[in-house]
This record gives sequence, structure tokens and C-alpha cells, in this order.
Amino acid sequence: MSNVIEKRVLTNLDRCIECRSCAAACHVSHAGMPVVRFAMSGVALLPLICRQCKAASCVDACPVEAMVRDENGVVHRRLFRCIGCGSCARACPFGVLPNETAGVPDQVRSTDRISGHQIPKCDLCADRTECDPEAVPRCVASCPTGALSFEDEHQAEELGITMMGGRTTGEHPFKRR
Amino acid sequence: MTVTNAQQTETKRCTLCPAGCELIVLEDGPDNWRTELPAQNVGGLCPRGAILGQLLAHRKRLTFPAQRANGTLGEVDLDGAVKTILAAAGDGAITFFLDGNVPVEEMTAVSAWCGAWDRATLCLVIEPSDEAVLSGVAASGAAMLSNADLAGCDGFLIVGDAFSANPTCARPVFDRRAEEARTPIVVIDSAAGRTTKFASLPVTTPAGMEYQVLAEVAKAAGVEVAATGKAATAVAAGKALAGCRRLGVILSAEYGRSAAWKQIGFLAGTMAKQFGGGVAVETTGANALAAVGLAGKLGAISLAEALSGDSTRVALGCDVLGMLGISEPKFAAAAAAFANRTTESADVILPVALSGEIGGSTWFVGKGMVSVPALLAPPAGTLVPSDVVAALAKSAGIAEPTIPTAAKELGAIEAEAPGEAPAAPEVGAPALLIGREAMHSGCGDLTGYGSWQQGDRPQSVLRISPADMTDAGLKNEAIVRIQTGDASVEVKVQVSPELTPGAVVISDGAAAVRALLPSAAGAALPQKVTLIS
Repeated sequence: MSNVIEKRVLTNLDRCIECRSCAAACHVSHAGMPVVRFAMSGVALLPLICRQCKAASCVDACPVEAMVRDENGVVHRRLFRCIGCGSCARACPFGVLPNETAGVPDQVRSTDRISGHQIPKCDLCADRTECDPEAVPRCVASCPTGALSFEDEHQAEELGITMMGGRTTGEHPFKRR
Repeated sequence: MTVTNAQQTETKRCTLCPAGCELIVLEDGPDNWRTELPAQNVGGLCPRGAILGQLLAHRKRLTFPAQRANGTLGEVDLDGAVKTILAAAGDGAITFFLDGNVPVEEMTAVSAWCGAWDRATLCLVIEPSDEAVLSGVAASGAAMLSNADLAGCDGFLIVGDAFSANPTCARPVFDRRAEEARTPIVVIDSAAGRTTKFASLPVTTPAGMEYQVLAEVAKAAGVEVAATGKAATAVAAGKALAGCRRLGVILSAEYGRSAAWKQIGFLAGTMAKQFGGGVAVETTGANALAAVGLAGKLGAISLAEALSGDSTRVALGCDVLGMLGISEPKFAAAAAAFANRTTESADVILPVALSGEIGGSTWFVGKGMVSVPALLAPPAGTLVPSDVVAALAKSAGIAEPTIPTAAKELGAIEAEAPGEAPAAPEVGAPALLIGREAMHSGCGDLTGYGSWQQGDRPQSVLRISPADMTDAGLKNEAIVRIQTGDASVEVKVQVSPELTPGAVVISDGAAAVRALLPSAAGAALPQKVTLIS
């Protein structure tokens, strides 16, 4: 049990065309509980994807231990523990976790009694990546321009990537040419 | 359910645009389907493809024939619907408006029935601007490029918001730029869409002036064309492209933007040939190239001709009125998978299969003929378009014709060089433009049924330059009503610094938007718009 995440979803700022394919793929496959969000940064609309922080504030903030790190280092939300209090969303320093329960506006929120009142959390599409070591999360698979990639950040130098955000808790969420 | 669940993991292709992205259709509950990405996919699937699975068994799908009486729709059987349509036609002519993005087998089958029935005429319906630009490119003799072909280009000329029209075409451009940072990327887009943000050489383009600006760029690059050669950004762009050995031209013919899309296609194709490259046309529908290439061979008439005649009109899978933003002429019948502007006006409504439910061959831009299996069988009792025509023809006593079993080859598209470009329209400021959205296909009435589209942006957005916003006394995120003629839409103001003053842009998200720039025949043009706080 290493508890250190091997791969993260990285965003190449030079390639994102704001098509929101990542969010749509996440929305459709997560039964109305999407975890990919967007924020305007200047004139660019950037995807906010969970950085799977090494020191995850959401885990510390959860009052019912719904947020846990698994043996692969991925922070999960335990479905039946979450009470939808929003503590994790407020604690997240990057605004990745949605403030709205279920992560969606009221008009499209699930009417399900459980999922309609919980905070969605990215698990890197565990249903795909745990079955197939070559598989990538849906947001990465759907990205038509190659802006999102699922990479071992420790290979950044070999890949010729300049990592950004090294002083933050998330460590290197973005990359540039 | 995971993607590794057995039996249902056959990889298929999205049929909403020419990119043909790979996808899997998975059962997500009783009669509930969703689209899934192949586990190791890195090819992309835009928001349109993401909701394609939902459309297959959507609760709002049309599932039975209906007939309008005293303004109310009531269920009828197919025989009753057929008799009503034939009674409306009397002894007159019937025109079938067939969606031009169905598989080629459907086009040839409907054409065969129309050939056997002397009262019937076929019209293949695609976006008029797509048809014009494809004809222009064909007339230039330039090679059609696929995304793989674009990867080998050393410079790019992009007209329109191509990255929103087909997000996958951005990848080869970015790959090339990653290899060579000085790769020229010239973008001509008066709406300053998302593609403009990635331009190394954006070209200032006033509303409705796409051809004139392209001519300036071409002249500066050394192409023989009439232009003043004085526009600074265009001259800089042209000089940068002049050094290309293999120029990749990407065209996205925008609705309501110009009357000169054929001339744009021709000039862009000529330029691509001169610089050893080719053209990729990012059309709205998956099979527009086949519709343009086969229209003449199948005896189809033009959309303008079909709309202007006094025949009985039957729409097959297409939303003619929504696409053109018009409310006339009236359609006697409309076959569709979902309610749209055309079914709202028709007296008889028939359920019909989505393009993705019709197996057969199709063409993707630059790739020749590709066989595409059906995603799923259509709902029980749902006809394909040729079945609707066959039912009408048989009821009228027409014997079944010989329907070719093999798909027609596309071959070279026969198109003549266009004449001189029409003069640029004189539009008062602010001029209204319609901009592409990656999440919507065409006028958006089909993809508008997707849960993502409904939830993500329920309020239309009006992009406006900071100067125009100040002049109009508006504030960012204010709600305003915009009006052209009799049509109006409520929108949220969004300041857009990259937009040239004098133009405002609304997203192409629903047929209601197109009603702001209606066009019964020919190209819709930008219009002066009134902003009402």
C-alpha cells in the first residue's frame, strides 16, 4: 500500500478549446453527478478537475470520514457516508468540489434521495482505471484536442513539460509547452 | 455498469459530425442508454456525441404517427397518416425534403422511389452554407483533408470557428505547433470564436466581410485575386502563409455570416493548391459531402427551388424551418425523431429513425467511403425515411422500383467555378452574428434534448465588446432582449474583449436563435439588432 498517487489528470493550457467535452462525458457517465467544473480565468474557460492533493483538505474537513484516500492514493467519497454538508467543498483550496449538492443546478439535479444530496467527488473513473491499467478517465478520453492527459508527473522532465503550480497543495495541476 | 461489461462493448462511431469519433452504447437501466468512451480512447467525443446514447431511447422521442385536427394532435395509424398526406397532395406534386446526413443507401432508396413516381421530387437538405462552401472547394479542385492529413501541414488558414464546429480538428493544429512554435495559424472569424484565441495571426474581420478579408490574405500571400492589399492584419497573415510548403485550410461555414461561402470555398481551395496543401471542411452534419456530391446524380433539386414551389412538402428527418429560421412555407407532413419547428407546423407527424440507427455506408470528409454500423435498432414501429416514401408511393399505386444494393460511389464532385463574390452587406451596428457551440449540432434542436445541454447553459449568452457594452449602457451578466424584425430572444450579456466593436454574437443553441436571422432561400446575412434592457 503505497498511498502515493502515480498518475494525475494534467491540463495543458495551450490546448484547451473550451469545448467542455470533459464535463459532458463526466455528466453523462456519472448518473447526473458530474465532477468536472469550469471557471473563467481572464478570457479562458478552464476545466477544474480534482488534483488529488497529497495533503487533501477535503479529507481533513469531512466530519463523517466520507472522504478517504485509497491504497492507490486516490481520494474517494464514500457514497453512504456523505451527508452533503459541503465542508469538503469549502475546504478545497482550488474550488474544484462543487458547492451545490450533486454538483449540478437544481433543474437537473437527481431526484434520487441519496445522490441528489451529496457532494460529487472525482475518483479518476475507478470503474475504468481499476479494470484496465491502460485505461484513462473519461474526461481525458473525451478530450478531442489532447489538452487533458493522464500522466505520471514525475516524468515531466522527460516529456519536456514545464509544470506549474508547484507551491500549491495540489502540486503541478497544469503544464505548458 | 462498467465499460468492461461483456457483450455490449462493440466500438461504434458517432454520426453527428464528420469526425466519426469512436463510442460505445451501453444499457444504463431498462430502456435507458448512454454513450461510453472506449477504455483506452484518446480520440475524443465532444458534448454532442456524449449525449447521443441518451437520444436513442429518450422519453420525448416521437413513437407513433399523429395528425393535427382543430389545432390538436391525435394519434392515428400509419395508413391513416398516409391517406391524409395523399389527400392533401391531391393530383399535385410532392417534394420530399430528406435529411442530407443519412447514409447513402437511404439517399439512393428515396431517389429510386422518387424516380419511379412522376409526381415526387427529392431535395437533400443540409445547411445551405455547408453546401455552398463544399461546392466552392470542389470547383477549386483542392484535395479534401482528414485530421490525419492536417497533421502534416506546416501552416494553417482557418475560416470560421472550426474548433467549435469539430473539436477534433484542433489536435493536429496543436500537434504541429508543439513541434514548431512558429507555425502560422491564421484565423478569419468575425465572431471571434474560440478558434481565434489560438491564432498566431488573428485577422480583423468586420461582420459579413469574410470573403473580402480572405481575399486580402490571399493577395498578400501571392494569389492572384482582386483585393486592395491594404488591410494590415490580413497582409501580415498573408505574408506568413506565403512561406508554407503544405498549407492546411480549415473551413467552417457559419450560418448567417456571409453570402459568399461558395467564393470563400473556391478561393481557399485555390490558395491551398498553390501552397501544396488541401482543405478540411468541418460540416455540421456527418454526411454533407455525400449529399453535395450525389445531389446531381440522384436528380435532387436545390433547397431554394423546393421551398419556392407549390408542391406538397414532406420533411424526412430534417428540421427545415428551424434550420432556416423561418415559419413558412407550410409542410403537409414531417417525419422526425423529436419535435422540432417543422413538426410543429405540419398536419401529420411521423416517427422516424435517427441517422445513427440506420446502418449503412457514409462518407467522412477526406476519408472516402466508410461503413458505419447502426448504434442500435430504432424503437419498434419506427420507420426509416425510405420506408415513409415507400408507404406513400405504394398507397398511390406505384410499383416498387429496383433499389441499388450497393452504395453509389461519390467520385469527383461536379461543380463550376463561382462568379464574382457579392458585395459585402452594409450592416448597421451592432450587427448580430450567430456563433458555433461545440455542444450543439446545427440549430441545436436535436442535441438540445441532451441532459448536459439542458443543464449546462439554460440561458443564451450574448457576447459583446466592452466598447459596445458601454455605448449601449449595459452591464456584464445583465439580461437583455435582442430583436431583429419580429423575432426576439432573451439573453445574458457577456463582455468579450476579443470581439471587434460593431458586432454582437449569440450562440447557435436552438432554432429560436436562427429566427433572428431568417432566410427562406440563399444565405442569411448579419442584421442590425436592437438591444432592449
